[in-house]
Amino acid sequence: MARGNNEILANLEQIVGPEYVSNEEADLQPYTWDMTWAEPRMPDYVVMPKTVTEIQRVLRLANHRKIPVIPYCNGTNIGGLCVPEEGGIIMDLKKMDRILKIDPETCYAVIEPGVSHAAFSAALKATNPQWKGEEFSKGFEFGWGVHPPSASVLAMAINHGIGHLNGRIGINSQLMSSMEVVLPTGEVAKIGSCAYSDSWHSFLPLPRMDGLFTGWLGTTGIVTKLGVWIFPIRPYRDVLTIAAASAEDITKYMVRWRHYSLCDEVTAVSWWLAQIPIVFPYSPKPADAPEFFSYTVISGWSEEELAYKRKMWKEVVEKERAKGTKLIDFEYPPEAKKGRTELPSRIVGSTKNYSKSCGGGIAWPGTFAPCKSWPILYEKWKEIYIRHGLSPATRFTDYQGAHYGMLRCMTPFNKRDPASVQAARDAMVECVRAGLPEGMLPYKPPVEYQNELNAVADAGYLYLMTKIKDMLDPNNIMNPGKLGIR
Amino acid sequence: MSHLLKNKNLKELAKIYDWVSMCTHCGNCKYGYEYGPTANFAAMLCVQGDKFNFDSYRGSRGKVSLARSLLHNRIGWSDKVAHVLFTCTSCGACQQMCETDIKPWILRMFETLRYEAWKQNVAIPENIKAWSSTIGTLYNPYKEPHEKRLDWLPSDVRASLPKKAEYIYFAGCTASYRRKQLARATVSLLQKLKVDFTVVEDEWCCASPLLRTGQYDLAAKFVEHNKALPEKYGASAFITTCSGCYRTLGRDYMMDAPEGYADKYGKMTGVKVLHTTHLLEEMLNKGEIEFTGSFNKKVTYHDPCHLGRHAEVYETPRNVLKAVPGLQLVEMYRNRKFSFCCGAGGGVRGGFADYSLETAGKRVKEAEATGAELVTSACPFCYTNLADAIELNKSPLKMEDIVEIIEPIVRRK
Repeated sequence: MARGNNEILANLEQIVGPEYVSNEEADLQPYTWDMTWAEPRMPDYVVMPKTVTEIQRVLRLANHRKIPVIPYCNGTNIGGLCVPEEGGIIMDLKKMDRILKIDPETCYAVIEPGVSHAAFSAALKATNPQWKGEEFSKGFEFGWGVHPPSASVLAMAINHGIGHLNGRIGINSQLMSSMEVVLPTGEVAKIGSCAYSDSWHSFLPLPRMDGLFTGWLGTTGIVTKLGVWIFPIRPYRDVLTIAAASAEDITKYMVRWRHYSLCDEVTAVSWWLAQIPIVFPYSPKPADAPEFFSYTVISGWSEEELAYKRKMWKEVVEKERAKGTKLIDFEYPPEAKKGRTELPSRIVGSTKNYSKSCGGGIAWPGTFAPCKSWPILYEKWKEIYIRHGLSPATRFTDYQGAHYGMLRCMTPFNKRDPASVQAARDAMVECVRAGLPEGMLPYKPPVEYQNELNAVADAGYLYLMTKIKDMLDPNNIMNPGKLGIR
Repeated sequence: MSHLLKNKNLKELAKIYDWVSMCTHCGNCKYGYEYGPTANFAAMLCVQGDKFNFDSYRGSRGKVSLARSLLHNRIGWSDKVAHVLFTCTSCGACQQMCETDIKPWILRMFETLRYEAWKQNVAIPENIKAWSSTIGTLYNPYKEPHEKRLDWLPSDVRASLPKKAEYIYFAGCTASYRRKQLARATVSLLQKLKVDFTVVEDEWCCASPLLRTGQYDLAAKFVEHNKALPEKYGASAFITTCSGCYRTLGRDYMMDAPEGYADKYGKMTGVKVLHTTHLLEEMLNKGEIEFTGSFNKKVTYHDPCHLGRHAEVYETPRNVLKAVPGLQLVEMYRNRKFSFCCGAGGGVRGGFADYSLETAGKRVKEAEATGAELVTSACPFCYTNLADAIELNKSPLKMEDIVEIIEPIVRRK
């Protein structure tokens, strides 16, 4: 069965070629849903452009006919971002999968939207940091996150995805250095140093116009090339672990440790998230089990550097204990340790935790929150989750030291059971509502979260956002319905 | 609420609905990847996704989603649905990558979807319909007379074989009708190695093509017939050179769902199923094989999906090849569990010959890149597709089955 109309289909075929466009329901159906509770919505067409010119032509057509366009790479976000709220054209960017440049001297790469973490990691590992032909070490890395290897590097970066270097360097959107974008009206713009030369190394000192396309959920244009900073792989790594009896105690430890800026990452997970699979539905943890388990990844260029970081970490733990913070020694299972040091990983990036016992659904409330709100919100969220029969499978992760970090509650639900879906949705929306006054901001927000955000947002902020959206996308064709402002 | 099972007419599919809905839609299945200490493996493994691009075709996620969409009555059956279902080679690469609890059920789900498709008025590939219309009386999918099944076997050899033996050599349809030299080489090899075996005139198709294309009802009598052969001929084991037959006899006949079809057809018990390379490896390990010559060539090995990912036999054929004097084994980038299908499986060679050969052509190019002079494999069906692609692409490569490499240069110690 076909959707849309034949005239538009013919136009799209003319642009990308008949092999790369379809309006058949059988082809459209995988684009209707994702991992979350997002209600399935059917697009009318899917196109797979291979060039920037093809993207321009599709957008011009869509603008002329006022058809929604939803940029799509792999559909692995946990926010329903690519579910076409108002139908239209899914622009599947997987065919644009070239790594255009890896500069091993200036330490950046330029990629297209279809480049997967798998392909990018393989290419970076095969490239050695060097200067004028002299190699310094082996391989580069980027911020490898918790996702399947097929996930798009570009999509993750422009949506503020996190990576394993977020403690040391920041989240992946902070590693972007230049971009090329096709505006909803079809014009192409380069942003950052690439606007002036073929060097894609920096947005600075120019006006940060990349902000018009970062965190906007694909509603302001299509990023077709992205420059990202890459980092030499440090040959020595270790994972240090400690547990705590409460969210407050683990937060105290994490805040003190991250002040030194010595780790690549420091994360804590609640007892419920530490279980494989996540406990579903809720059941209490054993009374003698710690409430939180934490790991921190340290890296270095020598064993001595690693030894110094271990020594500093031990001092932090001892100082906290001396203050009365209840920290409990525990050993990380080898498989878990491997998962943290061998990134990107199939295991860490998988959703095996959420499949069998939980019925296949996964979503989360969160993620960006000041660290001082972690223990406060954890207690509030715990009450909400238990009330809805869900486990408070919570994660704290520091982002680049001392300011803020991830507060997230991984929430499995049974996709086959409407009551389970509703309970998860209700609990998560309630958590977002509770989190906003404490400084928590949801990222990759589903429509429900966006509505909560907009309800309490500064009026001037919403006004400006609307002005920018209208300026860039006068016909509101780009992923409509996601921002809740048009 | 669209998350509900609404279409209960699809009974076979509804039976596995719980498994279908356990797919988290994560997309791990869409791309081959593994972390390595010095280099990470990354490559497209999905033959179908590589060709047809859209997410509907890519990995298992698209087809799980298709199953859910059909069960939820969100889409109807169409020729396009049939195209998505029947262009999958059932290579199992998506299953290999899957990390969720749906993993063991993935291939079963594809076959179940095909089973349901046969009951709908949709475009099942004509050639599959054609061989399916005669396989019930000819007992092979090549539309050849059953009486000619043993034509590959020289009459003097046939006369010399015992009526009853420890092993039944199960040649399979492809070797019997299309790659007769492989069947002859296997018999010669087994004779040289003094294996107690026989060849039976009432061998029927193992039912692999029927099961892979979802023809459960038609498959029943084939399974029943072949299961009875060991007792009839006093044999305790099947030995086969065909990876498809190996997978079907050894797993579908013997294992419960989802790995096999014992839930539908009952279990074959008390019988061993060996691939030829298993026997060779065992005899090599026992020191029972002596090489009388060498094979001085650079060779690359193509993992048949039915032997590799479906049955996890990766090292056995390689161990056999490594034992051959003079043979230099080189690997393609995509190998073992991350191999790339030859493009023939799942009914695709019969249903979509051009796409099947295009896929084989990609694999031939990959083999060429190793610098090998020869591609070898352990399956007459892979042999056929790769050899045809070599010819079609005027590749300098040669194709030989492992049995053809070994047979001329061995004897029993």
